[in-house]
Amino acid sequence: MGTMRRPPPPPISGKNCDDPVLDYKDTENLRRFLSAHGQLLSRKRTGYCTQCQKQLKQAVKRARHLALLPFVG
Amino acid sequence: MATVYEGMFLLDNQVVREDWKKAKSIITDALKKHGAKVVCARRFDERRLAYPIRRRRRATYCLAFYEMGSEGQTALRRDLELNENILRYLMLAREKLPEGELELAAAEDAADFNVPTPPPDDAPDAPSGGRRRDGADPLGSDELGEPRLDVRDGDPEEVDLAGKDE
Repeated sequence: MGTMRRPPPPPISGKNCDDPVLDYKDTENLRRFLSAHGQLLSRKRTGYCTQCQKQLKQAVKRARHLALLPFVG
Repeated sequence: MATVYEGMFLLDNQVVREDWKKAKSIITDALKKHGAKVVCARRFDERRLAYPIRRRRRATYCLAFYEMGSEGQTALRRDLELNENILRYLMLAREKLPEGELELAAAEDAADFNVPTPPPDDAPDAPSGGRRRDGADPLGSDELGEPRLDVRDGDPEEVDLAGKDE
């Protein structure tokens, strides 16, 4: 008998990523994709494709550099 | 060939308190010195930093767009690193000037525009109605609204990436 698994939460970005505009200045939007510790969520949770996840990563790193977002810790 | 660049500069609040135009001229003068043509420059925001930089917990962000060739970049970066009033900077190449930037910069240059005086360094940020799923304060404040930055006061410069990532 298999164990009951909780269904995964829906992706934050919706069903499709639809080429989002991810700007490092838009910290309110970027915060949605960070965990409680300030870590970037996985692609599974954000719902982004590879290219969009890379854009997200770049935007978060730029925001961290300017102290707009905290570093992981 | 000149490229449009976007520059975000983190200014020390002490300079901003004296005079905003003087603070802005620190950036524009540095850009002009290295052959850049400043298209527009404006105050982006004044806010609490996510982590202290050079013992400053609040700072003013200045957003500038300028055209520049590639030859003066290294010297410009070196000048910005040496400038004590600029806490940090980020320069990115842009395909074109974003819409609305010129209007925002022009509004700031108008005679009746009043730049608010930055609050003291230990003043907490106004609640922003954050959209974090866990409900935690993204900047690490406790229930009393007091910042918890004392736990990370060790070495604020340990993660300095200035000018290295672009």
